[in-house]
Amino acid sequence: MTAATRMISGILTITEFELRKVFHDSSQVFVRAIQPLLWLVVFGGVFGRLRVLPTGSYSYLQFLTPGVLAQSVIFIAVFYGITLVWERDFGLLNKLLSTPIPHSSIILGKTFAAGARSILQAVLIFLLALAIGIQLHIDVVSVLGVVLVIVLSGMCFSSLSIFLASMLKTRERMMGIGQAITMPLFFASSAIYPMDLMPTWLKVVAIANPLSYTVDALRALLVTGDYSHLPRDLAVLTLATTALICLATTSFKRIVD
Amino acid sequence: MIEVISLTKRFGNFTAVDSVSFRVEKGEVFGLLGPNGAGKTTTIRCLLTLIKPTSGQVRVSGIDALRDPQQVRQLCGYVPQEVSVDGDLTGYENLLLYARLYQVPRKLRKKRIQEALEFMGLADRANSLVKTYSGGMMRRLEIAQVLVNQPRVLFLDEPSIGLDPAAKRMIWDYIVRLRDDFDTTILLTTHDMLEADELCDRIAIMNLGKIAVTGSPQELKTHLGGDVVSITSKDSNCFGVLQRLGYRLLSPSHDGVCDLVVQNGEQEIPRILDELKQHGITTNSVSLKRATLDDVFLKYAGVRIEEGDTTWKHARLTRRTIRKLRQ
Ligand SMILES: Nc1ncnc2c1ncn2[C@@H]1O[C@H](COP(=O)(O)OP(=O)(O)OP(=O)(O)O)[C@@H](O)[C@H]1O
Ligand SMILES: [Mg+2]
Repeated sequence: MTAATRMISGILTITEFELRKVFHDSSQVFVRAIQPLLWLVVFGGVFGRLRVLPTGSYSYLQFLTPGVLAQSVIFIAVFYGITLVWERDFGLLNKLLSTPIPHSSIILGKTFAAGARSILQAVLIFLLALAIGIQLHIDVVSVLGVVLVIVLSGMCFSSLSIFLASMLKTRERMMGIGQAITMPLFFASSAIYPMDLMPTWLKVVAIANPLSYTVDALRALLVTGDYSHLPRDLAVLTLATTALICLATTSFKRIVD
Repeated sequence: MIEVISLTKRFGNFTAVDSVSFRVEKGEVFGLLGPNGAGKTTTIRCLLTLIKPTSGQVRVSGIDALRDPQQVRQLCGYVPQEVSVDGDLTGYENLLLYARLYQVPRKLRKKRIQEALEFMGLADRANSLVKTYSGGMMRRLEIAQVLVNQPRVLFLDEPSIGLDPAAKRMIWDYIVRLRDDFDTTILLTTHDMLEADELCDRIAIMNLGKIAVTGSPQELKTHLGGDVVSITSKDSNCFGVLQRLGYRLLSPSHDGVCDLVVQNGEQEIPRILDELKQHGITTNSVSLKRATLDDVFLKYAGVRIEEGDTTWKHARLTRRTIRKLRQ
C-alpha cells in the first residue's frame, strides 16, 4: 500500500468514526441549535425592531442569519481541540498514534469531521431560520457555495483549536481559551453588525479575522446574491485553512510529549 | 523479538529511563516490574515509537524502530495504561476502527472482529455503546481491539489495573492463551507481584529508570537463596548486630523490621534469637516465610514495592473517575 492511499484511508476512517459518534447521540445537534435560535429570536428580534443598524434593503434578521450560522461553526470547531486533550487524558490518542497510519491523517480526519459536523448543524439552523420566516436566497449555486464555505470554515477553526490544544495541553486551559476566543472572534467580525460601523481598531481586527470572510460569503450567497466578493472570501478562507492545518499537524504531537 | 540496547529517555533534566537493556524472545511473556514512576510506560512508549529516545537502540522483530517506525507499528499492538476505547462508539465499532487503521483486508475484517469479540467473551454486548461497559469489559475490549490486527508483538501497560480479582484472573487467562495459541510475544508492565509471578516467563525489575535484575520469577527467588526471617525489635542496634554476625540482610531496616535470608528457617530461628540475646538485644516478634518476588524486589530495589501502594490506589481511583466522567 502506498503512502498516499494509507494517508487517504486514514483520513476517511477517522472522519467516518467521528461522525458515527455524532449519530449515536444526535440530540447534541439539537441542543447546539438552541443558542443560535435564541440569537435569532431574541437578539435579532429586538435589534430588528429597534432599526438602529443600517442593513440596507434587507431586514436585520436576514442580515444576522449568516452571522449566526458562522457562530455555530466556531462553537463546533473549538470543541475539537478540547476533545483532543480529552482523548490524550485517556489512552485514546496514544493508541491512535501507535497505529501505522500517518499522524497527520489523524488531524486531517478530525478537521474534515468538524467540517461535516458543521454542515449538519447548519442545516438545522437553516431550517429553523426558514421556519421563523426569515427570507433566504436558495438555489443550487448558493446551496453548494454555502456547503463549501461552511466545510472550509469548520476545518479552519478546528485546526486553530487543535493547534491551541497542542500548545496549551490541559483541559482547563483549553476550556478557558475556548471561551476567551469564540466570543471575540464572533464580535470582531461582521457577524452581527456591518463592518462600516466599527471603530478603526476593530475594523483591523475584523479584517484579519477569517470569520469575517465566512460571514461575508454566507451573506452574499444567502441574502444579497451579490457574488463580487466571493472569490476573495474563498481565497482568504482557503489560505487560512491551509496555513492552520499545516500548523496543527506539525505541532500536535507536542500534546502527548 | 524485542531488543533494547542502552535506551535512555530524558525529560528536561529528569532521566525517566536510564540506559536500559533487555531482550524478549519470541513467544515469551516478559514483565517489567516496578513501582510508580519507575519508567515502565516511558520504555513502552519508546518501543512503540510514540516518543523519541534520547539515546540507545530499539529493535522489534529485527526492525530498527527509530529508522522505520511505521513498519514497527504495523507489527505491534498496544493497550495503554489508561482507558483507550471510545465510549461513544459501540464495541463492534471500536474494533472496526482499528481493523481499518491497521489495514486489515476488507474480506477478513468481519471474521477477525467476530473472532476477537468471541475470544474475549464480548460477542453479546458488541452492539452496545462502550460507555455502558464495566471496567473489566472495557479492558477486555481493549485487548480484543489489538487482536484484530493479529499483532506479533503485544504491549500491555498494566493490563489488570483497577480490576477485581475475578476480572484479573480472566485477563491473565487470556494473556496466557494469546501466548500459547498464537505464539504472540508479550511485553507487559505491572506492580503486582502476584501477576508477575503467575504470568511472566521472565521479568525485569525496574526502579528509578534502571533495570536492577532480569530472570525468571523462579530463578530470582532461588537466587535469593532460601527463606526470609523477619525480626522486629525496638533496639536500633539490631540491624548492625545481625550484619556483624554475618547474616544476609535484604535492606536497611524499616520501622524496626530486619529481613534476613537463611537456608533452613525453622532451624535457624532459635539460634538467631539466642545470638541476639547474647548481644543484649530484645526482640518483639519473629516471622518466617518462603522468599517471594517482593523480597527479590526489596533486595534489588531497596524498597518494598507495596510501599508505593497509596499511589497505586490513587491511579486506580483516577481510572474510575475518568470512567464516571465519560458517562
Ligand atoms: N512527558 C513527560 N514529561 C516529564 N516527565 C515525564 C513525562 N512522562 C513521564 N515522566 C516522568 O518519568 C517518570 C517515569 O514515568 P513512567 O510513566 O514511565 O512511569 P511508570 O513506571 O509507568 O509508572 P506508573 O506505574 O505510575 O505507570 C515519572 O517520574 C514521570 O513523572
Ligand atoms: Mg505507567
